[in-house]
Amino acid sequence: MRILLLEDAEGLGEVIHDQITDEGHAVDWVQSISHAQASLRTTRYDLILLDLILPDGSGIDLLKKIRHAGETVPVIILTAKDQISDRINGLNAGADDYLVKPFDLSELSARIAAVSRRYAGNPNPIINIGTLEVDLTKHIISREGAAINLTAREWALLEAFIQRPGILLSKSQLEDHLYAFGAEVESNTIEVYISRLRKKLGKDQLETVRGLGYRMGSV
Amino acid sequence: MNSQKIISTQKKSPKSLQKTLGIGLTIGMTLLWMFALAGAVYVSQNKLNELFDSALAETAQRIMPLAVVEIINREDLTQAQQVMAFKAHNEPLVYIVRNNLGQILLQSHNADPAIFNQTLLKGFNSSATHRFYGVSAVQDTLHIEVAEPLTQRRDAIIEMAVTLLWPLVFLIPFCFIGSWAFVHYSLRHVLAYRDEIESRGSSDLSLIKTESLPAEIFTISESVNRLLDRLRRALESERSFTANSAHELRTPIATALAQIQRLQQEVSAGPTQDRMIKLESTIRGLSNLSEKLMQLAKAEGGGLLSNEPCDLISLLKLITNDAQRSHPETVIILALPKNKEYRSAIDPDAFAILIRNLLDNAIKHGAIQNGAIQNRVIKHTEKDQPIEISFSANGLLTIVNDASVIPAEILTQLRQRFVRSNVSAQGMGLGLAIADAIVSGTGATMTFNSPATGRVDGFEVSVDFSTIN
Repeated sequence: MRILLLEDAEGLGEVIHDQITDEGHAVDWVQSISHAQASLRTTRYDLILLDLILPDGSGIDLLKKIRHAGETVPVIILTAKDQISDRINGLNAGADDYLVKPFDLSELSARIAAVSRRYAGNPNPIINIGTLEVDLTKHIISREGAAINLTAREWALLEAFIQRPGILLSKSQLEDHLYAFGAEVESNTIEVYISRLRKKLGKDQLETVRGLGYRMGSV
Repeated sequence: MNSQKIISTQKKSPKSLQKTLGIGLTIGMTLLWMFALAGAVYVSQNKLNELFDSALAETAQRIMPLAVVEIINREDLTQAQQVMAFKAHNEPLVYIVRNNLGQILLQSHNADPAIFNQTLLKGFNSSATHRFYGVSAVQDTLHIEVAEPLTQRRDAIIEMAVTLLWPLVFLIPFCFIGSWAFVHYSLRHVLAYRDEIESRGSSDLSLIKTESLPAEIFTISESVNRLLDRLRRALESERSFTANSAHELRTPIATALAQIQRLQQEVSAGPTQDRMIKLESTIRGLSNLSEKLMQLAKAEGGGLLSNEPCDLISLLKLITNDAQRSHPETVIILALPKNKEYRSAIDPDAFAILIRNLLDNAIKHGAIQNGAIQNRVIKHTEKDQPIEISFSANGLLTIVNDASVIPAEILTQLRQRFVRSNVSAQGMGLGLAIADAIVSGTGATMTFNSPATGRVDGFEVSVDFSTIN
């Protein structure tokens, strides 16, 4: 997933960034609302992790602007404001979830996955694609009981297809999904990962539409 | 110390201004009326005496010529004669006619010579029982003295005074009612001011209307409003400080916790990872302690009531849902009245802190396996027993968790800080103390029961929100 992380605390932002990146997501980490707005103007994100108290304003105000603009991107609030009134305000402003600091990194990952599944239209963490069974919570994939090992990048690529079942995804869309701003992406990276996935999941699982992109069968 | 106690127990309840003014005005009016009555009686008595004296003198003047003719025409001038009455009648005035030697020559038919003066006095004089008027004629050889009983005058005065006093008996109650009504009317703005102060909740620190208040009270109300304003600003500052402190503390703790979790992922199993696990546990403990202390500060710092009543049932759903997500291993059963809401003046954040602490307590102590009984240590039973939360339509919250029966003497101590029923359970013994501070501060009531109602074991906390004004 392409995730925008808006967190002004240097140490915490760095850890969250590393954690989510290790899980195979592409994370753009910004520390102010102005930078977040600039990123939102140029990139389509799959998820926003939003702190509320920021040096140049309130995260709630930014969230309201995003929703007012008609954006349906999922938003998880990460904040030290633990009062129920803050939480209600956040949810009323359009947040999908609310996580109070300090939190476990594993809980953050679980919340990201849950919100992501909800937006994909299937809140069930276990899905079947042909002969494959995928547990999105535990990051386990198996075929007829036999486990298949995927790297973080391969898993992130698979998630991109699972989130948009049957939809054609272009190479640039997949690159956006996998890589953050500034990441060095070689021209054939996506082809390499697609090839690896085909080897592990089966050739029929991913369809190539020449000149347009790739598509996964129905979930 | 004892004298202080005696003074405090002897503290009198404040007097009612309305009652004091009503009684005072009535007593004042009555006294005024009594003084007026006394004055009227005094003046009337003098006038009556003058009239009675005039009648007495006139009687003597009128009888004397007739008596002279009567006596001179007698054959024996020294023979006494009593004038007979034509018919029986009451004779308030009696008289005797005597010569210059004091011999009685003529007397009215009912006259008693003993009541008259022995010496022949002229003009008015009085004895203990009668008023006299004496006059002489025929070169002072004949003397008439007319007597009138003083009781006649006294009866007249008393009769007049009683006649004047009767209306006062009826007037006093009317005067009291009228005074009370007038005072009540005059104090209506003061009473409205009192009612407004009485009716507002302890969290309502908005300014009180001072319109139409009398000048004597106006300055007091202005001072009260200034005090309320200062109090409100002080509480807001305190709340803001607590919230900011929470934010400032949580972020570095979150950073430390996240960093240590990342490090754990990067090192392989061994002594280093063990130390990291301990470090993580310590950071979590620090986080929990700072959290509880801030909650306690809020619970004891006021601001526990809100001007805007909120629906506790929807808040309870939200908080329970959070708890279920944070503790997926615990089964929480929530029973709520259907299609109902329960609005209360408790501050939503205070309510959330209360519920979170009660739930934390239930989760910690209700899901522990077989602790041992030692002093205040309570044995807990099987793990994974559901925590039952219910909220009734009349505002009664009940949370039941599994536990062995807790002795009554320990139940009473659970509200104290740093007291735990089970030392084998993780916790600081602050949760129920925080809950108690919130409940006390809002006017709700909280009771502990063990065994839980309808069960042979278990721990039950009940909070009645209906007692919040």
